[in-house]
Amino acid sequence: MKKEFTPRITSFLCKWCTYTGADLAGTARLQYPTSIIPIQVMCSSRVDPVFLIKAFLSGSDGVLIGGCHPGDCHYETGNYHARRRFAIVKSVFESLGLESQRLKLSWISASEGPKFARVANEYTEEIMELGENPTRKNIFL
Amino acid sequence: MSSIVIDTSASRKVKELLRFLLDSGKIDAAVTMRKIPENNSYDLTLITDAPDLDEAVPVIPVMTVNAGQVLSSISTSGKKIAAVLKPCELRAFVELVKREQGSFENLLTISYTCGGVFPLELVKEGQIEELLPKYDKTISKGEVPINTRDTCRACEHFIPMNADITVSVSGECESGKGCVMYLNTEKAEEFTEGFGGERSEQKFDPSLFQKTLDARLAEKGKLFASITKDGPGLDGLLDLFGKCVGCHGCNSVCPICYCLLCDFESANFDYNLPYFEEYLSRRGALRLPPDTIFFHMGRLTHMSFSCVGCGMCSDVCPVGIPVAAVFKKTGEKTAALFDYVPGRDVEESIPVMVYKEEELSDIG
Amino acid sequence: MTDSELKGAVLPALKKPGGAVRDFLRLAMEKELADAVILPMKVPSGDSFAWILMNDISLLDDAVPIAATMPVQGAKALRSLTRKGPGNLKIIAVMRPCEIRAAMELSKLGQVHPENLILATYDCPGAVQLQKYVDDPAGSEEYFAGMLQKGKPDDSAKPVCHTCENFSMFDSDIHFGYLGLSEKEVLVIPGSEKGSALLEGLGLDLTKDLQAWEKGIDQLKADKLNSRKSTFEETKAQLNGFNGLLSVFANCIGCHNCQSACPICYCRLCYFDSETAEQDPDALITAAEKRGGISLPVDRIMFHTGRMAHMSLSCVSCGQCSDACPVSIPVADVFSYVADQTQRTFEYTAGRNDGDPLPLRQFRKAELPGVHELVKDADAEVPSHE
Repeated sequence: MKKEFTPRITSFLCKWCTYTGADLAGTARLQYPTSIIPIQVMCSSRVDPVFLIKAFLSGSDGVLIGGCHPGDCHYETGNYHARRRFAIVKSVFESLGLESQRLKLSWISASEGPKFARVANEYTEEIMELGENPTRKNIFL
Repeated sequence: MSSIVIDTSASRKVKELLRFLLDSGKIDAAVTMRKIPENNSYDLTLITDAPDLDEAVPVIPVMTVNAGQVLSSISTSGKKIAAVLKPCELRAFVELVKREQGSFENLLTISYTCGGVFPLELVKEGQIEELLPKYDKTISKGEVPINTRDTCRACEHFIPMNADITVSVSGECESGKGCVMYLNTEKAEEFTEGFGGERSEQKFDPSLFQKTLDARLAEKGKLFASITKDGPGLDGLLDLFGKCVGCHGCNSVCPICYCLLCDFESANFDYNLPYFEEYLSRRGALRLPPDTIFFHMGRLTHMSFSCVGCGMCSDVCPVGIPVAAVFKKTGEKTAALFDYVPGRDVEESIPVMVYKEEELSDIG
Repeated sequence: MTDSELKGAVLPALKKPGGAVRDFLRLAMEKELADAVILPMKVPSGDSFAWILMNDISLLDDAVPIAATMPVQGAKALRSLTRKGPGNLKIIAVMRPCEIRAAMELSKLGQVHPENLILATYDCPGAVQLQKYVDDPAGSEEYFAGMLQKGKPDDSAKPVCHTCENFSMFDSDIHFGYLGLSEKEVLVIPGSEKGSALLEGLGLDLTKDLQAWEKGIDQLKADKLNSRKSTFEETKAQLNGFNGLLSVFANCIGCHNCQSACPICYCRLCYFDSETAEQDPDALITAAEKRGGISLPVDRIMFHTGRMAHMSLSCVSCGQCSDACPVSIPVADVFSYVADQTQRTFEYTAGRNDGDPLPLRQFRKAELPGVHELVKDADAEVPSHE
């Protein structure tokens, strides 16, 4: 593990569930690392696969999608589609031999402040183990 | 469903059928490969008059353009059309129909057990004629012709899916003798009514192609292993796509990529100077034009599950990147997530349009 | 170049021209007269080059200022960077003369904003064909070394390089000259106020007169003009009549690689790829019925001739179209010949940075008499939009 490495985790959080969950974690004064860079989206299905790839190639050490639990989507089915798209990107990463651990999808509801803090901590640790994203330094991408 | 025994070469028999269909007015036009006598080359042609069929060579291991792609702009005309397609062209067309880019309604599809096609490189040099005898011999033995496209050698879907008429070319017959034309659908029976030839009740037997299938699968294993020879990861990816010149030729000949304006050519990925300045301040350098790897990875997520492995992309790449092999390999993985096979069934929705409540349990 | 007052400075470098350019850029960056530079660099697989914008001086050592081949037309790199405006960084780009000329055309078309760019050229010996380079990088480097030494293309070069008369200084801000000079000399010559200011800032002594270099250039130019003439005659003969055109483009598969590799064709969606140009399915069948049959995809000749009409006035004959063609059609030879004709019609030279607008952006009441004669009432007053 590299010292003094602060990961950057680009996080696309659904407005209705995970983003609110993150807010709850904050108001409850739960600790979670500054590595999480939240971007609010209206639904996890708003996240086009190319967002994940762009974030990865731009040097994000991790990319997180947070959405409502299956069945709870504000738009009824958005997160099911998000799950399929995420599975495709992950599969593309795996078949290209890229570190698919740098992509994460997590279902966190608006009431799950503690879960958000836990996921943020655990994922940050996982990324710390993994180290800096090699794309950060690459100039040929 | 019945079949017609072929007493001549498969290509000639298909040509006879097209002629019959045109003459009898059962179709208004035929889409088939044709020889261009003037320069020893081939092209895909839309033929409406029977005499113009003279130069047609329906069964030929050449693909100048994926016919599925071309068919999408013709099939909705309301005219009756018979199209001779390679299995991957037919599969590509099925994928396009799912995307509302074509219709089977007025189409009679004729396909054949495909031995693979030669790269355009060899076509332009007029070498096809010389290569054919050896090619025919190789496929008749159930072996894989050496100088065909890499994804053809690795293709296990050489038996047509969904064709109205399937012509067996390789396998049980040596380029012609003993080939059979299988009528798979009501439509096929209807169109061929009155067409001469000995009929039988023989059913298509895929097991006759087992040797070919085994050989192809072995080739596929080799091909897939070879594209990551420099090791996986970012370095391997850069070794593959690092020399891309950004012409997007792979995208424009891809039958699946039907978008008039690709996302990666759209204003979505135009950047302001501050973007470059920020990038520069972080890395000290960046590539211009940007987004070389991004384009290929993006395209992989957008369409790989529908990739039929036709190999057009590799053929048009000016710097020889094995695009098709990478897309085929990745596409098999992304399609397998949803038990999807591109081109298998026109009723099957493309994976990103549908979902199941219980699936992909390891995610999330 | 005809300006006898013009003087250059001898660069303090004893390396091949590329090395001298590198040292020059290092100096400019160290003295903070440039924030960044754009240079080719070998891609990781080692068999091609990519344009790299860099402000990290240590990367200069890995750059190849004068690359053997031209995978991406430099004007495209400049366009991707400055399409939306000139920005705040002062950037020096070292490119082939045809790349700078294409950038000039793009700037007239509003696609490149060169205000903060310093465009540098060199005596270009030609570029190795891309496919040749990718197939055999080591061998191609040898060919190119030979080309650099002689200052002119050999058989490994793109065919259009043999007929290129604008291979040297052409309205760039600064130019690195080495032709006609001793092997140890590389001259740097200012071509604009921007260029002069840079050289002045670097403290370079502009005392060297340019006669020897100019003589070298003129000699080569005469050779090239001859070969241009004879090659154009050949192309003309080849294109003779509709059948000639058909046979040249017979193998075209309609991939439009030529267009996407072209630096001038900047349209996001080419007219010929748009819905407007798309044939109605019924019209296609009708077209086939009229002829008995029709080759697919349709409108390939339409595409090429249409492109000639759309962009040949700005064609700089860089040859990228031929390099990108998967079926080896000599697209560039044809376009170069056609461009010569169309540009001659308007006495226009693509890439010239003399404030002259694009020919189709202006007209004169009395012009093109040869065209007029074909029209009845040629003397009728043409309404002016001036």
